[in-house]
Amino acid sequence: MLRATDVAQSYGDGPVVRELSVEVASGEVVAVIGPSGVGKTTLLRTLAFAREPTDGRVTLDGTDPWAVGADERLALRRRVGMVFQEPGLFDASVARNVEYGLRVRRSWSERLGDGLRSLVGSNGTAGAVREALEAVGLAGAADRHAGSLSGGEAQRASFARALAYDPDVLLLDEPTSDLDPRNTAVVEEAIAAARARGIGVVVATHDMHQAERVADRAAVLLDGRLIETGPTDRVFDDPDDPRARRFINGELVYRSRAPPRLSGGREPGTWPASRRWRRPSARWSSGGAAAAAAAAAG
Amino acid sequence: MTVPLDPAVASLVAGFELPFRDGYLPSIVFVSLYVSVTAVALSTLVSVPVAVAVGLTEFRGRRLLTSVVNTGMGFPSVVVGLAVLFVVSNQGPLGPLELVFTREAMILSQFVLATPPITAITLAAVAGVDDGVRDAAHALGGTRVDVALAVLREARYGIATAVLAGFGRAISEVGSVLIVGGNIAGADGISKTRTLTTAIQLEARQGRYETAMLLGGVLLALVLAVNVVVVRLGGGVGR
Repeated sequence: MLRATDVAQSYGDGPVVRELSVEVASGEVVAVIGPSGVGKTTLLRTLAFAREPTDGRVTLDGTDPWAVGADERLALRRRVGMVFQEPGLFDASVARNVEYGLRVRRSWSERLGDGLRSLVGSNGTAGAVREALEAVGLAGAADRHAGSLSGGEAQRASFARALAYDPDVLLLDEPTSDLDPRNTAVVEEAIAAARARGIGVVVATHDMHQAERVADRAAVLLDGRLIETGPTDRVFDDPDDPRARRFINGELVYRSRAPPRLSGGREPGTWPASRRWRRPSARWSSGGAAAAAAAAAG
Repeated sequence: MTVPLDPAVASLVAGFELPFRDGYLPSIVFVSLYVSVTAVALSTLVSVPVAVAVGLTEFRGRRLLTSVVNTGMGFPSVVVGLAVLFVVSNQGPLGPLELVFTREAMILSQFVLATPPITAITLAAVAGVDDGVRDAAHALGGTRVDVALAVLREARYGIATAVLAGFGRAISEVGSVLIVGGNIAGADGISKTRTLTTAIQLEARQGRYETAMLLGGVLLALVLAVNVVVVRLGGGVGR
């Protein structure tokens, strides 16, 4: 269980996010939704133990990594995987990219041995790498150079890189923001597969449709605070916070219809509730995700 | 051949015979390569870790430090030679080591000359590595060392360029090796501290232009060969 309690994070001038409390259990998917630039990435970085919170605590199974030594913090950090919006692939083959997390977990002597063995051709990590690549539909791309991948393939390879070392918690920052419906469906199926394996997943997205499709629970992040948290159905159907209600309704309308008018009209997020988007009935059947993604984009 | 001939006539008679004694050219090439390769190797060992440390950390004075290093790329080699001469002279701090007019003094001055370009170009290459790569290496469980290694690997072409620039600076400069090395060759014609550049300078001054041009051709060929080797090594990594 990864849990954030009253977390605040500041960058120089004032807090970016504050009073954040969120948790994810194993085998659970939590969606953090909110417009761009609202602090979703900051929250995820905090959950990934990449940045010490300026206030509050983040714990993994009850242990606060910032209250223990560097070695123990590293061990905790290595149980969490994070996939960034930008793939950030290394200038190497896809297989070598996906293998990276496994490689850094070995001792230097083992890594030296692996390096020597890879000169001969055989490699002990091939199994885990293949499995991770299969999960994102890139089984045939292992030997390609990362630079030759398309945008969608690169984002999927980036996902595979975090799956390869089998983390307890997976943090995904806008994993499908630049993807076409087909690639989106593949990633959403991989999220479902990770969930089925007992991995706790936090996915930050501005895509309401995606949040409803993949998440057990949803949290709405606005103005640096989580203003609404709960089971996905309840958050979407009956949010307590009026701003969350406006955000969900407005966002849904303008994503599925015309873009918002910026001058003279209503601001985004203020559309009447009667114009709400209806979500597709199929969730989590493999064909359904693709169909829903296609419908969302079309 | 016992009858002394005018050197120009001798070379005509001998056809392809070189216009200097056996061993002269190889010894000059050896001194040039020994001094420059050692200086660049030592400089790389110092420059790359410094550039990576500076490139990956935020601290006050970082811009100032970068400016100082960039300025160092323009150090006039004669001034560096003069400064190194003071340092290694009898009264200087390294006086007891008796390094004046030795290859080691030449290595020291070329080290000073090569370090700024290698550091500056490596720093630019490291700073140019996508932040996403650093984030990914850290997020995938890498330690600080792992992140630095990942960044180094991404910057490898830039670092190869940096080493080449440093080597080019070192092997082609005349001023400092002339001052601290003294351009000495033994009575047997074997170079002690004579490099290709100082030999060219000497031959040209004495009017032996064909020898100077031949040495110039050898120097160009050396630089070209080193470029090919480094680019090959750099380009071959991990592909």
